[in-house]
Amino acid sequence: MNADTRDARSPHVDLADLIAEVTGQPVGDPARQHLTDCEHCRAEANRWNLVAGGIRALAAAAPEAVTREAAQPGRPLQAGARALTASRRRTLLAAGAAAALVLLAGGYGVTAALTRHTPAPLLTAVSGCSGLEQARGTLEQVHGTSLVIETASGQPVTVTTTPSTRLSLSGVSLQGEITDGTPVTVAGFGSGGTIAANLVAIDVPFRLRLAPGLVTVEGTVADASTAGFTVVTSTGTRVPVTTSGDTVVTVFNPTLDRLPVGATTLAVGHAGPDGTLQATIAAVFLESSSGPQVNGHYDGPGGCSPTSLLELAMGLALGG
Amino acid sequence: MLDPQRDPAAVAVSRGPLGACDDAALLGRIVHGDEDAMAAFYREHGRVVLAQVLLVTGERVLAEEIVQDTMLAVWRGAGSFRGESSVRSWVIAIARRQTRDRLRGRRLRVVDDALLADQPSSGPGPEGMALDRAELAEVAGAIRELAPAHREVLGLVFGTGLSLPEVAAVLDIPVGTVKSRLTAARTALSRILNEKGQNR
Repeated sequence: MNADTRDARSPHVDLADLIAEVTGQPVGDPARQHLTDCEHCRAEANRWNLVAGGIRALAAAAPEAVTREAAQPGRPLQAGARALTASRRRTLLAAGAAAALVLLAGGYGVTAALTRHTPAPLLTAVSGCSGLEQARGTLEQVHGTSLVIETASGQPVTVTTTPSTRLSLSGVSLQGEITDGTPVTVAGFGSGGTIAANLVAIDVPFRLRLAPGLVTVEGTVADASTAGFTVVTSTGTRVPVTTSGDTVVTVFNPTLDRLPVGATTLAVGHAGPDGTLQATIAAVFLESSSGPQVNGHYDGPGGCSPTSLLELAMGLALGG
Repeated sequence: MLDPQRDPAAVAVSRGPLGACDDAALLGRIVHGDEDAMAAFYREHGRVVLAQVLLVTGERVLAEEIVQDTMLAVWRGAGSFRGESSVRSWVIAIARRQTRDRLRGRRLRVVDDALLADQPSSGPGPEGMALDRAELAEVAGAIRELAPAHREVLGLVFGTGLSLPEVAAVLDIPVGTVKSRLTAARTALSRILNEKGQNR
């Protein structure tokens, strides 16, 4: 996080905060508020987001070759002037073969999926966010760092992720994740000093902005039970929280192997040249049957940043 | 609202990405010749390193060689990791050194800090507007035409998951210079997009 939120010579958000916003790293509250209020800074964030999308597009085009060749011991690793020595190749193959084969297997699956899908119609533009498109449907497969989403029409879309892709996993069945010591943000309706939780977000990488009327508290879980828990804030205040069967839990940045096949999935990002979607965010909903969609004119108060999109996805998890 | 139906299987799935501790533990095993650990390391970092190197070199075969050299260096030198940075930034720094060595040997355009225009742009102006009009594929194509050092800083910041201070450490320059280089890269990118737009 950038401690010095504003550039001393400028009324606008510092570049470090803009970059943090685009790459999904924590952004301080003053900067976040400024991004919300300042059209100039939102436009700047969108421009950087487009640059980041370009990098992601190039990265997505890169990864398969080295693994495919490394997995074929009989084939030279390159046809260029500087061939590897046999001993180096053996060392590398021994060390990397397992990984390469895993990725290679995934690569074949993804390639097969790509040959079956028709790129453009499966992705829907996110209105109000230049260059952003969405894919939604049922998670069909996870191949390495790629997801295959089966759309309502039964066609697969390959969604590629990078380290800067923001992932979230939401569902009422994740309530078991709420254990003592877990950092949480709770949003719900307050009554008599107790919050009836609509949403419990774990390890939130940003300050949540939710619908007006909802009370929000941040802190660490204590006294967790099936009926609720206590949030201990940074100042030591203890806030009782009750949960119910409708309390949605969102886990941020789950590993891809946590994403269950069959779950409703929404991915937003940039369309790649090969019909893939290079994801800025991917949100997976365990129990949503209707299927979320970012539609209409999306003009969220935070613009089209990954944070804003994730907030929108969390709102969808709550049925919004 | 949500269907309250539960999915117990989802709760039982194991948790946690390969974090800093896991990375360091992998290196500890690699030091002892654990090939499975090397394979896991390769899975975790190989793709990102390849994408970054490819971005800088622009040559796939060369990039693959450099990644292999990098992984070999990790295999042989895991014990030299002292935990002063993240493992991701450590391996990318190795790849960067390998890249510079190889490019220097081939007399290609070497990343030369002294020649970079690290001047921040004065604001969006027509350059910002060029980005506002651009499509993703155009931006990706224009990135390929940037100077290696500009491609490098954009790739490190947006493609590797490193923070700005980590990028600064990899490049061995102050964070402020990373920021000005980023801005210069975007200015150059916008210029390329503008030129392409005028030629259409």
